[in-house]
Amino acid sequence: MKTTLPLFRRAFFDTWRSTLAWAAGLAAAAFLYLPLYPSIGGSALMQDMINALPAEMTKALNYDQIATGPGYTQATLFGLIGFLLMTIASVAWGAAAVGGDEESGQLELTLAHGVRRVQVVLERALALLLRVLILAGMVFVLVSLLNGPSRLGIEPGNLFGAAVLFAGLAMLSGTAALCVGTITGRRIHGIFAGAAVGVLGYVFNAVGRQSQDVEWLLDLSPYHWAYSNSPVANGADWAAAGWLWGIAAALVALAAVALERRDVGA
Amino acid sequence: MAIAISARSLTKSFGRREVLHGIDFAVEAGSVFGVIGPNGAGKTTTMRCLLDIIRPTAGEVRVLGVDPRKGGPELRRRIGYLPGELFLEGRVTGRKLLAHYEAVSGPVPAGRINELAERLGLDLDRHTRKLSKGNKQKLGLLQAFMHQPELLVLDEPTSGLDPLVQQEFHAMVREARHRGQTIFLSSHVLSEVQQTADTVAILRDGHIIAVESVSGLREGAVRRVRITATGITAHDAVALLTGVPGVGKVEVLESNGAVTLSALLEGPIQPLVRILGSLQLTDLVLEEPDLEDAVLKMYSAQPEEAQ
Repeated sequence: MKTTLPLFRRAFFDTWRSTLAWAAGLAAAAFLYLPLYPSIGGSALMQDMINALPAEMTKALNYDQIATGPGYTQATLFGLIGFLLMTIASVAWGAAAVGGDEESGQLELTLAHGVRRVQVVLERALALLLRVLILAGMVFVLVSLLNGPSRLGIEPGNLFGAAVLFAGLAMLSGTAALCVGTITGRRIHGIFAGAAVGVLGYVFNAVGRQSQDVEWLLDLSPYHWAYSNSPVANGADWAAAGWLWGIAAALVALAAVALERRDVGA
Repeated sequence: MAIAISARSLTKSFGRREVLHGIDFAVEAGSVFGVIGPNGAGKTTTMRCLLDIIRPTAGEVRVLGVDPRKGGPELRRRIGYLPGELFLEGRVTGRKLLAHYEAVSGPVPAGRINELAERLGLDLDRHTRKLSKGNKQKLGLLQAFMHQPELLVLDEPTSGLDPLVQQEFHAMVREARHRGQTIFLSSHVLSEVQQTADTVAILRDGHIIAVESVSGLREGAVRRVRITATGITAHDAVALLTGVPGVGKVEVLESNGAVTLSALLEGPIQPLVRILGSLQLTDLVLEEPDLEDAVLKMYSAQPEEAQ
């Protein structure tokens, strides 16, 4: 009995509960936020309230664009709660993929079987990719469904581009977690690395937008690369998408090389 | 005789700490080779080098004729491995886990998994993380044995198993050997290895201090003797026994009425039996040679370290 991609299958199917839970969380966020747009984001009252907030705060939260349907969706779902949930899920999966497996002692047995180390990293990264794509795809579908009823007025093409960036941002954090977890053999190091990419990206964006003196921070923020032009409203910056996905791929390759070269469980 | 595993000057350092100081050994194909030694002697490190889980710092290793660094998946499919510390935490049943390893390292003969599970008394439909230590160990043995690999590398295979299952395991080892498979196993107690192994290597502090056949160990081993006799004083009995070649450590256990003595005997038993014939024995115990003692003697540079 020859099975294709056995490690991928195991990594993907053995975590279906986790995938389902994160999907439910993201769906709940979409259903909570988006239907509120007609009564909150679109109202003149809300715009007055936003105008009354300190400008620094609205910039940090990306609420400066909240008065339009696409801007509202960008700021609340893609830019905040969805970004948070996706990053946590992806980092947790990435850190567990190899580093966590080594730490729990299970990688040793897997490597003693008929597998290549590169194959272990690649198949598990593929499982991470597929799970992230499922979540991002689900968000795309849900926003498309709510687009009409919630009077969001989002262009499907722009939504698609935003979903690609949304998934790319999550993959960047997730592969950073996978890479550092693989290099160190420790899950917690992977989690720190992945969380650092996500959190610093967000913070650099929020701080960098405050004044020209710290604008250079924006260049270091993957969050800013992805979302600076508000892709739900204006379409994706495909070069930014290329960077996100390219770096993620490079991190996976680095992890594969690192595992190939070192002792496991020592 | 073909050689299944050979190591020449196998050295391994972790950072600046050298844990294997250039060990040499060879395992004949189709034999059972046991490595014993105290915890931390380097048994697990040696085994991990055979599987390319860790890489030797220096020296040469050949497993089934191939360097494990270059053998890749093809070589590892020919090996069944049981890690020294087995962790199975996944939310999968034993059956699914075995199907996974079969997909990676198979093929497994039809019905083999159920047959082994039945022999070991393992429920394959329970989630692995809910299994007791002993049952996890059974699952570990199963994944090592199921595809009938040419070589089995088993690190402390009987740890956590109850005596009945240990017997079953010993039977599995004998069958595997009968089928021509080679078995390389480790333990920190000899009694476990002596039942199944043809050859024993004793590893201590990263050195192999002896490689002996089990029968060789038996010949050099020490037997405990206990006799009870009447019509003789303790003093005379001690003098009599002490005069026998190979007898030492004579101790008087009891001397009111009957005299009870214990002693250790090294070497042939005939001279002792001849002397005992002249006594009025009421009890005689001549124990099976204790290979553990033979091994402890080899460890004995610092006997307190040797378990």
